[in-house]
Amino acid sequence: MGIVFDLQRSALQDGPGIRTTVFLKGCPMRCRWCHNPESWELEPQSAVSGDPPRTWGREWSVEEVMAVVRKDRRFHQVSGGGMTLSGGEPTRQADFCLALLEAARGEGIHTCLDTCGCFPSNLLDRLLRFVDLFLYDLKATGEERHRELTGIPASVPLTNLEAILERGGKVLLRCPMVPGVNDFEEHFSAIAALSRKHPGITGIEILPYHRSGESKWAELGMDAPDLGAREPEEGQKKAWEASLQRLGALRWKIL
Amino acid sequence: MPTLQKTALRPLATELEFTRVYRENRDVHPAIREWRCLEVLLPAFFQAMKPGDLFAGRIRHPLCGFSTQPGGFGYYCHEAAIRNVLESSPADAALREHVEAMLAFWRVENTTAKTRAAYPPWVSQALPVDSLAIVHPAYPLYRLGGTQLDYGRLLALGIPGMKAEVSRNFEGAEGGEAALGEALCGCLDLLADVARRYAGEIRDAGSAMGEVRSLAEALESLPNRPPRTFREAAQLFWLASWAAGSWNYGRLDEVLGPFLARDLDAGLLDEAAATDLLVSLWKLMDATVPCWDARIIVGGKGRENEEAGDRFALLAMEATRRARVIVPQLTLRFHDGQNPALMAKALDVLAEGVTFPMLYNDEVNIPAAAKAMGISEAEAVEYLPFGCGEYMLWKKGFATPSGAINLAKCLEIALNDGRCPISGKVMGPRTGEAASFASFEDLWRAYAAQVEYSVAALTAQEKIEYDTLGREAPCLFTTLLTDDCLSRRKAALRGGVRYLAGTLETYGNTDVADALTAIRAAVFENKTETMESLLTAMGNDWEEAEGLRKHLLALPKYGNDDDVADAMAARVHDHVCGFTRDQAAAVGLAYYLVVVINNSMNVALGKMVGALPDGRKAGDPLANGNNPVAGRDRQGVTAFLNSLVKLRTDHHAGAVQNMKFSKSMFTAHRPKLEALLSGYFAAGGAQAMLTVVNRGDLEAAMRGPEKWGHLMVRVGGFSARFVELPNDVQRHILERTLNE
Repeated sequence: MGIVFDLQRSALQDGPGIRTTVFLKGCPMRCRWCHNPESWELEPQSAVSGDPPRTWGREWSVEEVMAVVRKDRRFHQVSGGGMTLSGGEPTRQADFCLALLEAARGEGIHTCLDTCGCFPSNLLDRLLRFVDLFLYDLKATGEERHRELTGIPASVPLTNLEAILERGGKVLLRCPMVPGVNDFEEHFSAIAALSRKHPGITGIEILPYHRSGESKWAELGMDAPDLGAREPEEGQKKAWEASLQRLGALRWKIL
Repeated sequence: MPTLQKTALRPLATELEFTRVYRENRDVHPAIREWRCLEVLLPAFFQAMKPGDLFAGRIRHPLCGFSTQPGGFGYYCHEAAIRNVLESSPADAALREHVEAMLAFWRVENTTAKTRAAYPPWVSQALPVDSLAIVHPAYPLYRLGGTQLDYGRLLALGIPGMKAEVSRNFEGAEGGEAALGEALCGCLDLLADVARRYAGEIRDAGSAMGEVRSLAEALESLPNRPPRTFREAAQLFWLASWAAGSWNYGRLDEVLGPFLARDLDAGLLDEAAATDLLVSLWKLMDATVPCWDARIIVGGKGRENEEAGDRFALLAMEATRRARVIVPQLTLRFHDGQNPALMAKALDVLAEGVTFPMLYNDEVNIPAAAKAMGISEAEAVEYLPFGCGEYMLWKKGFATPSGAINLAKCLEIALNDGRCPISGKVMGPRTGEAASFASFEDLWRAYAAQVEYSVAALTAQEKIEYDTLGREAPCLFTTLLTDDCLSRRKAALRGGVRYLAGTLETYGNTDVADALTAIRAAVFENKTETMESLLTAMGNDWEEAEGLRKHLLALPKYGNDDDVADAMAARVHDHVCGFTRDQAAAVGLAYYLVVVINNSMNVALGKMVGALPDGRKAGDPLANGNNPVAGRDRQGVTAFLNSLVKLRTDHHAGAVQNMKFSKSMFTAHRPKLEALLSGYFAAGGAQAMLTVVNRGDLEAAMRGPEKWGHLMVRVGGFSARFVELPNDVQRHILERTLNE
């Protein structure tokens, strides 16, 4: 059993093809731009406002989740899609996460793990066995900056990333980009270097900052941190594009 | 022949002359009478060309005349409109007296009145009103719609050849048959006269008409020989379709494709010039045909001229992209192994915010139509969606939608012992007080009885309507252009057409399903509510019962791949489709089938239904076609598509599915869109009308975001549904969705 706070059928941007995305509760990071703050705590939660207040998360069995995932098999098959585990950080519920991945793999369903990279290394063996593609966040460059922005130092996800790639895992790197907050030269430079070093990085998605999740902070009774950032304009995206080109990044695209 | 200018001088001159000729011929054979009436009518009906027209054939319907559908039903007379003309004309006592006499004559002599007069009492009782503005569960509709005629033979033979064909078939005919043959030849002469007159008008206009001089030559040739070029062929098709009053055009790729291909190969036309011609034809359709007609079918199985047809289809789609008009309703049939360029072009055109072509899956529709219509698959290859989506058989069958039933109204009166709670009138059988229903099945039986009562009457009505029109007139051009009529020497409605059939428009299907799911859960299973308290809350349109309404709205709804809600939708669907299909034999129709179609009737009829047990408010629009109630499909597009394919397709004559996607689905996410469609079609999806979310949608969503629950928020890893977001965020996302 595990705590799931959302299940989206026909997700189009959580990996290849048409996907069923399962959102697991619990996250070790506290990203200042987080668009799913309701995922942080492991336990189910209620909003502090609303009539009636919304609740996030309830217990699901593996079979219950799989029953929903199976309903879209034909769409997974024709599109090259499958199941994506997201969150939160799905590995926070390690047993449930692995059980879901194993079940999907057992039925021939393509699996993606949307991860921030913060998990104990002893999970690596089993993750590599059941995950077809890691959607791997690279949130910031610089040990201290990463800690300041997410609460966790950069070396934690980087070490796991290198390990996955060295052992043949396939990775789609996902880089949330917040103007003035993490879109620095050294970050683009690190992205470019990684892309050249590892053919296992099948693609890099630059995810422009969006504020759609901000209202959820208030619902949870929290103040969204003032990042002083705006959603990037076209000109800003062009500048990112120029940096990535200049620094020789491979297989990237800005969404 | 009187010219347009002369008739315009005297108000109602055509109408009065038409009436005089009709009266003079009242007692001669109906074929001769119709021919003589057409002699007056056609010259007044066809109007002068306008600058920019590349084809001749604009039209004006006289206020009193003869038509299958476009002008009116059979011999028709629009009294209110005629009175308007009288009032705005200079006072002329003699004219007034003539017109009053004309109106008095037609009041009993018009075909609609004669149809109603032919109803037996039980039909009149079940169908007491003809106006869709009056609250009732069921309505007859008066028309001979559903014709998609055989232009191929006319274009192959030309007008003189067609006359010879008639003469050959009617050789040695006597009596009524001879009269029919004579009238059929006569009406071909009238068509030739129209072509000659247009040619003359173009010549008279001289250089003002500029480049259309070559059209004058084309028109001059039509009375003398078969069309030789695409332009001549399209021109003859256009005039003949209007002469017959048939405004759904069938497989034009089969009919016009070979002419087009020949001209292109011979260098008589290039693709740009051919597209210009089609754009001009499309604009003529747009100027003359209402938005729910003008179907043109391209693609699909069973085409004899497939390669030429494909070339026509591609240019037709390009013309649709360029013309940016409401009609024609271009329709692409497709099947495994069809030239993939057709579907690719279709999606390109749709991506630009055009709503055509509509997509029809032959792999599903041919076997389904065969079973529903009780014909072989070889014959069902010629299924064609008519106006709003009713399947007909090309050239061989009519299945006019001559009735409409409001299923939501049927449920409403079933909950009130046959009484309409809005008007207080009894509108159906007394099926018992809802409070006395011991089980859900009691309620189901009451609902089913209300539906069956109306459907049986509508079936009988359809046949009476055909028979009445058939007695009044042979519908000469329709007979001429329908298979089998000439060889059988019979008028289309008097044994000529092979499949005389009917269709019944149903509305509120999904609303009834959701309402029954809710009432079964709340009253009979969970018992959270009594029938009385529910009916009271509905009667007050949920005032001071918002909590109850929210509870009911939260129960399962069709469109979310929910087994309980979808099973109820299937039960409602199977009941009305099955019962309707079984009525045909009793009245002597080849088949009589439900259609679940798409037009504005869901809005108009919704206004006549009070609150429903699923939480719907009084007057809300009913669901569109086979779709979920607006905004209630909230589990994503795959769940929506899975729900759609749970409804059988083999016992009805077409159900319409609307799907809206953001522009990016057609561009950045094109492979995923194609995967969604192929998954849906492979799973049994029959049809799809795809549209791009547009500015109007954005504005609608601002006014009522609750109707936009199906809109996807497409941001990776983001957990939210559109409806869960605050208003300003919704606005923001909608704007972005539009601009993607």
